[in-house]
Amino acid sequence: MTAISRSAGSHPVPVIETDDWVARLSTPGPGRDAALRELHALLLRAARHQVSRMTALVSALGAERIDEIVNQSADEAMVALLGKLSTFEGRSRFTTWAYKFAVLHAAVEVRRHAWVGREIALEQSVEPWSSGPTPEDYSEAAALSAAITTAIDTVLTMHQRQIVIAVLIDDVPIDILAERLGSSRNALYKTLHDARDALRAQLIATGHLSSAQSTGWPR
Amino acid sequence: MTEHRHNLTPDVVRRLTVDPHPWLSCDDCFGLIDQYVELLLDEGPGAAQRMPAMRAHLAGCAACREEAQTLLALAASDRGLDPDEAESALAASASELGKN
Repeated sequence: MTAISRSAGSHPVPVIETDDWVARLSTPGPGRDAALRELHALLLRAARHQVSRMTALVSALGAERIDEIVNQSADEAMVALLGKLSTFEGRSRFTTWAYKFAVLHAAVEVRRHAWVGREIALEQSVEPWSSGPTPEDYSEAAALSAAITTAIDTVLTMHQRQIVIAVLIDDVPIDILAERLGSSRNALYKTLHDARDALRAQLIATGHLSSAQSTGWPR
Repeated sequence: MTEHRHNLTPDVVRRLTVDPHPWLSCDDCFGLIDQYVELLLDEGPGAAQRMPAMRAHLAGCAACREEAQTLLALAASDRGLDPDEAESALAASASELGKN
């Protein structure tokens, strides 16, 4: 296994025992107030980090609006986390567990802003890849691409085709599509899961993919 | 309903055909993601094999993967580890799915 290097000049954050966090956040009094402030600072840091990684999607919003997104995400994450505090089992550091709430809320919020006013067309057709990386690759790649196109047309339901094309080909974020369709991220991922199963089974049956292959592209 | 022609690039083909098993929902991925990133940080990308459903889900779900990358960078930073190197570990753990 490959170890990950320590950053130059880094200072690891001291580990505060999980029990301390949970106890402090669960016991009314000045200790809880301080813990809530510390927790909010952690969530702000995580939300800001997530938003900073997605600046290309929100750069047109301006610094003030972006700051609002960060703060709103941290606030929402705080509510969600405190509602689930009793479920924390200490299988990771408390801080890592806490960050994920802010990361989720910030990512969803940024994607939502990025897609405001953008139409999502649910389409049903694709076409094979039109050029190969090298002449030698072309024939095999073109055959696989054509087989996938046929499989999409023949083995997927209309709903599966629409979701597959939107999420996997047109790069519509799964949570945005779920929101527009009145569905859920879980439900759409299950649709993708079943569609991939059907596509893989068809490609294996036609000899374009072996069951041992995790993805289908000639190497 | 519009009819628009889409091009199947190599990257799109990988997304369409990645093995989605073992099954894991996005909610369950969220429930386990903190353990998964700490496993990678503690033991390196090879340890992803111990949570195969997480590895498969992150290879197949762009939104969960995007959030996992940030969480990994934050947790790495807390430990004084190189965040870029940690993210490479996550990418390596997912790309192993394409090496069969």
